Amino acid sequence: MKHAVIDGYGPGGAASSRAIYESGLSLSKSVAITASVVLMLLGAVQARAQEQEGAILNGYARSKVGALVEDGSYFIAENTLDLRLFYSSGDAACFANTVLYEREGEPALPELREAYIDLSGGAFDLRMGKQQIIWGKGDGVFITDIVSPKDLSRFLVPDFEELRLAVTGARLDLYAGAHSLELVWLPWFTPTISPAAGSLWAPALPFPITPTVQAAELPEMELESGEYFARYSYMGSSFDLSLMGGWFWNDTPAFAVVSKAFTPGVGLTALTVEPEYYRTLAAGYAVSGTLGPLVLRSEGAWYGGRRFQGNPLAFAVGYAERDTVQYLVGTDFSVAGYNFGLQFIQDIIVDHDDDLTDEATKNTATFVVAKTFLGETLTAEIFSYLGLDDGDALVKPKITWDASDALELFAGAYIFLGDEGDFGQYDARDGAYVGAKLSF
Amino acid sequence: MKRKTRHIVSLIAAVVFASLAVGATAAEPTGTEIMQAVYDRPQGKDMSGVLTMTLVDAKGKERVRSIKQISGSFTGMDKKLMVFQSPADVRGTSFMNWSYAGQGKGDDQWIYLPALKRVKRISSEGRGDNFMGSDFTYDDLGDRQPMEDTHTLTSTETVDGEACWVVESVPKDPKDLYSRTITWISKGKTVGLKRDYYDKRGTLLKTLRISSIESVSGIWVIKKTEMRNEQKKTSTRMEFSEVKIDSGLVDGDFTERAMTKGL
Repeated sequence: MKHAVIDGYGPGGAASSRAIYESGLSLSKSVAITASVVLMLLGAVQARAQEQEGAILNGYARSKVGALVEDGSYFIAENTLDLRLFYSSGDAACFANTVLYEREGEPALPELREAYIDLSGGAFDLRMGKQQIIWGKGDGVFITDIVSPKDLSRFLVPDFEELRLAVTGARLDLYAGAHSLELVWLPWFTPTISPAAGSLWAPALPFPITPTVQAAELPEMELESGEYFARYSYMGSSFDLSLMGGWFWNDTPAFAVVSKAFTPGVGLTALTVEPEYYRTLAAGYAVSGTLGPLVLRSEGAWYGGRRFQGNPLAFAVGYAERDTVQYLVGTDFSVAGYNFGLQFIQDIIVDHDDDLTDEATKNTATFVVAKTFLGETLTAEIFSYLGLDDGDALVKPKITWDASDALELFAGAYIFLGDEGDFGQYDARDGAYVGAKLSF
Repeated sequence: MKRKTRHIVSLIAAVVFASLAVGATAAEPTGTEIMQAVYDRPQGKDMSGVLTMTLVDAKGKERVRSIKQISGSFTGMDKKLMVFQSPADVRGTSFMNWSYAGQGKGDDQWIYLPALKRVKRISSEGRGDNFMGSDFTYDDLGDRQPMEDTHTLTSTETVDGEACWVVESVPKDPKDLYSRTITWISKGKTVGLKRDYYDKRGTLLKTLRISSIESVSGIWVIKKTEMRNEQKKTSTRMEFSEVKIDSGLVDGDFTERAMTKGL
């Protein structure tokens, strides 16, 4: 099921545009990477010197190396230079965030992560351009966070801030006291990036045999192809509330059966599918409040006409359209300096059919515990997803040490538990990583 | 207490205390009266400025944080918004607090992390936790109500040439972070110049020193202060600059929009 935790983590990889780097590091490549990091740092120092009144240039350089626990092979060897330029003048401002990735075995790739212009008035903000739009109140869960698609090419392994992709369009915020209304129009469709077929994180396909997958076609850029979102928000002394709705393209495609061959006595022997992007209507809420020492929150949404893959012999097109409901309830609290967070998430397919690949309901939980030490220079955190139906889990421990105000050293791991389910299917992919980040 | 009423009370308290301070033959006020006068001291309807916080570890290594902040009182609640300017890795992070003095309601608090682009409501229970890794707890930085302690005037002393009352305050709540505090309060300014904090075992834990006080728009504003942890041998210096009083901040300046856009 395309469920709330990994909403849009569809099968296949037809929309994937990034590779996973699994090969080992040679000495010469390590030297090259080290040299590039030095160059990045020099660039960062020069960039810092360019700061001037009205303009702010900052960012970070980061080097990260990780290996699979099972066989010791490297799967992360990346250097990143993230530059952010902000310029403001009166009621107008602009922002650009460009990132230069160098990953093992590949040339450095520049990416414009965000680039937008802001116009502000007494009761409105207008932002136009490529931007990330983040909704919802859940941690690591994307029930009402429906505007920005995700980069799931490495599943849920990267930090959450690196999962989100920018969308291109216009966003208008209107304000009246504690109330606000946000309107979003996206003329360009941006799909979620799924793991490439054959990559470390490619999920099992929901078909009885391996299909031939045709190329996907993105929606045309026409006025009627635009995506539309609206959100009302209230921030008050007792609670915070958001009500949202959207008419948009589902960020991951459904796979429509183009052709199939059935051999009597053998069954399905050939299958060709085509990824199809389709429209979804959604409406939902997000609320949080304080009750004594507890912060309580809930988030839920109804989605109309989502497509779920099913038995190609039962569904001629390979999928069925069903309405779905997703919600979460959660709480945050502190005990003896430890900060805890718990969430329960449920996904429900309305009018479920046994021939659908997904079950009628899916239950997931998240658990996080974090604590700081040494004057908040050392932070230890464990974030975990728990699949309550399949008994599987993804556990992500991480330690971060601020060696100085600018230099951060970190180490972490991700551990998959179970044999099946969204997390258990990666049981052999346990990994660990270390890295350093220099902010400027 | 309504803000207007509080200002009137503050004015009366200031007049009374000025008379007490000048009149050599007048009887000394009680510890509770002194601490109530400190609490009621006029502070303006709103305040804004830049806070530079220097954290010094036991080896003398310094870390500096710069924070823009605004605060104000509005219809029964006090609001404060802090936006981090440096260091670079926390730039743009903001923290907002709404407190409800005397209403029996816990504070509302939110944090905005630019990397996550999301404002999140957080628990305000950790008042004994250190503020951003400093030697100040959130409780140290808040407006502690006089009724929370039992106050005793123990003596009068001179600090930096100023005549001071010395008041011992013992928390009524046995679960409080400290067993007692001793505060040196300027008779002329009705401002604490020095405070010692004792831990649960009665041992000196921290010392607070005010090194600079200036009058801004007729209101005494603490500009420089230092908290030393005598047990860990760490310290935190706070310096306030660009201070403005009653600059016309309104309720609408303390919103999610302000948290995400910065000051």
